[in-house]
Amino acid sequence: MDRRAVVVTGVGVVNSVVVGASPALGTWLAQPRAAARVAVGHGRPAARLPEATLAGLVDPAEGRRLSRVCQLTIAAARLAVAESGVDPACGLGLVVGTELGDFTSTIAFADGYLARGAAGLSALLFPNTVMNTMAATTAIAVAARELALTLNVPTVAGELAVARGFAAVASGRVDAVLAGGVDELDPLVAEMLDALGDDAVRGEGATFLVLEAEAVARARGAAVLGRIDGAAWRSLAARPWGVGRRAESRAIDEARRRAGGRVPGFVYASASGDAERDGWESRVLAAALGDVPPAASLGALLGQHGGLGALRVAAAAWTARSGLLPDDAGGPPARVSGPGLVHGLARGGGHVALMVSAA
Amino acid sequence: MRRVVVTGLGAVTPFGAGIKPYWAGLAGGACAIRPLTLIDAGGFRCRIAAEVPGATGGSPRRSRADRLALGAALEALEDAGLTAADRADTALVTGAVGGGMLEAEAWYWARARGERPPGWAAALRAILPGSHAETLGHRLGLGGPRHTVVTACSSGAVALAEAADLIADGVVDVALAGGVDAMTRMCFMGFNALKLLDPEPCRPFDRDRRGMSIGEGAAFVVLETAERARARGVRVYAELAGHGMTTDAFHVTAPEPEGDGMVRAMRAALAAAGESAAAVGYVNAHGTATSQNDRIEARAIARVFGEGRLLVSSIKSMIGHTMAAAGGLEAVATILTLTEALIPPTATLVTPDPEVAFDCVPGVAREAAVECAISNSFGFGGQNVTLLFRHAAS
Amino acid sequence: MEAKEVIDELKTILVARLKFDPRRAAEVAETTPLPKGVEGSIGLDSLDFIELSIAIEEKFDVVMDESEDLSAHFASFDTLSRFIVGRRGPA
Repeated sequence: MDRRAVVVTGVGVVNSVVVGASPALGTWLAQPRAAARVAVGHGRPAARLPEATLAGLVDPAEGRRLSRVCQLTIAAARLAVAESGVDPACGLGLVVGTELGDFTSTIAFADGYLARGAAGLSALLFPNTVMNTMAATTAIAVAARELALTLNVPTVAGELAVARGFAAVASGRVDAVLAGGVDELDPLVAEMLDALGDDAVRGEGATFLVLEAEAVARARGAAVLGRIDGAAWRSLAARPWGVGRRAESRAIDEARRRAGGRVPGFVYASASGDAERDGWESRVLAAALGDVPPAASLGALLGQHGGLGALRVAAAAWTARSGLLPDDAGGPPARVSGPGLVHGLARGGGHVALMVSAA
Repeated sequence: MRRVVVTGLGAVTPFGAGIKPYWAGLAGGACAIRPLTLIDAGGFRCRIAAEVPGATGGSPRRSRADRLALGAALEALEDAGLTAADRADTALVTGAVGGGMLEAEAWYWARARGERPPGWAAALRAILPGSHAETLGHRLGLGGPRHTVVTACSSGAVALAEAADLIADGVVDVALAGGVDAMTRMCFMGFNALKLLDPEPCRPFDRDRRGMSIGEGAAFVVLETAERARARGVRVYAELAGHGMTTDAFHVTAPEPEGDGMVRAMRAALAAAGESAAAVGYVNAHGTATSQNDRIEARAIARVFGEGRLLVSSIKSMIGHTMAAAGGLEAVATILTLTEALIPPTATLVTPDPEVAFDCVPGVAREAAVECAISNSFGFGGQNVTLLFRHAAS
Repeated sequence: MEAKEVIDELKTILVARLKFDPRRAAEVAETTPLPKGVEGSIGLDSLDFIELSIAIEEKFDVVMDESEDLSAHFASFDTLSRFIVGRRGPA
């Protein structure tokens, strides 16, 4: 199969501290402030998006028919497409990663029936009970008519979506893919995650990247924000929702091999306060890299959600360009150089690695 | 380009557990759509569905969907003769929609009544569609790349396409791919609310069709490179020669009226397989029996293949619309159509719709030696997939 | 039930079920076109009409058989309220 170079030409971010394209993300990365956390139902405090943010991003007539998580997705997707300048008519794929989908609509649909029986069922809500609703509505909003995939996995949904989008472009099946992730906060979900022993700080939002074949992007004069030199996803042995014991790293090895065997000068890891899982990831990184280079995660700052993995890929491109790696504790950034490794490891064993460089 | 072949099949269906009863039911033109038992259908116009009969096997702690998936996946792996060492490098792609929703609903319904039922953490853990992959991967020792696709009614077919890409791209040599969905109140109630269900067993391509029937089940196939299959002397069912995946980007529930997305998916599958339209002898249709789908799909098939000549049938007439499992179950049926030289009928078709330009094999299975066949899955939200299978001898 | 009462209820349904902004719903006149694609309409599509039918069946205790072609009645609140009043029969 053809192996084409893949570049990032657009970024769209919508969360409680960053709303915009790559300049907005860059401004935040240069001085990252933590998202404010508020109580969500009976769950732990989490980084919730202020209502006014979405109101400003989605037209009311369109928004009437879009659930909140769909609005998040479309807002971020449109920002990325606008920055990239890609023409969807030339063939645009879409890959959406999510941990939780549209739980809010699912619960509301069930509540309607429980309150009033069959007459309480909402035809408008029903399509949102299937997890592809964000992809379906976003495909309409941005006119993406090639493949449109929704990938569901804990923790690494955003990383996986970008890796899958990379594979689609690198293999020559499609010239451009909008890839990223999204999740929203819901009180019942917060309770559920607590019960499952997932201690990560939670957040919500969406981040999407436009990935294009480098030759095609440059031919149309697109601004290139970074290059994904290699990406791979594998699995490590673990019970469902459990933390594994093995530290072998086939995903990291494969991503690095595709990137020409380069050693990463920095790492964006998927830690966000789930101590058991975070410990496992540290062991895997150490096993793969020996001396682990400077690492950031942004997880505790922004709260874990499906968009975060894609944001980390955009952040890695920014770091590769700027030579600065943000400090999760709020101190000054570290000076780094070389390509970066974006790494995700999930409870249950989902494992993703991407190598990102300045193009 | 690495060729991808099918070397193992597994299924749990409304005809029972296993490929044998599945094919026997399809070949016999039996309709498995019966009064519902798993959920309460009181207050709804439609009260029938195609349920998997009897006990599903496996631990009662697991969700019904997990048990269906395990049954089908295990059968496929054993059919392909994959050892533990093989499985450590086998990729897994699962198509899912409802996940463990049936059990989560029972918990939520009890909670609404003021109860505090036990087992809720396990029920919620299993609710997400991605959880099947974790269960299958862990329980069956599958150590390769793993991901779950949710593309509504085309999820099972997308899973096979994804797995074929992993093999063709050289990421893995072997993959297990398929889909699963158990009956859920949400799905049943939702389609009732949309007025898309026929109170009688669905009649695809019938002039008097009145909507869908819901079903449940699971199907998984083992895919590997043709070279590897030949080297280890395993029986090859068929080649997965090509696929096409497109999106209507038109409406969240209604199909795009011209069927352009469907046409592009079918043409992409032909192009990927390097086959002409004339080489295809059979279309296993999405054929949900809604007024819109069948009309638009039939026109789309005619635009790609011309009118008449090829045979078209919908096995949803027998097993209903099995949601995320449909693409997998229908792929298996298409593969067996090639190996058995027998086309499963549109069992409930009585009065062919004059707007449909094809022989839709009413009532009785039809003997036919087919060299190439396609399976269509067109999901909610315009998620279109076509898989093209080529006879092993070709 | 009078047509005016029916129309008030339909406006409530627009807000509660079809997620219209209350001010927008209040502005809808008797003759404002409902279906998308008609100039000046409030832009309801097929899914909106299904939702509207479910709500009408529940609120007004009428039956809307999907085999009937009722699309003409959904042109505006005026035509819809007449249809509903007619279906309900004498008070």
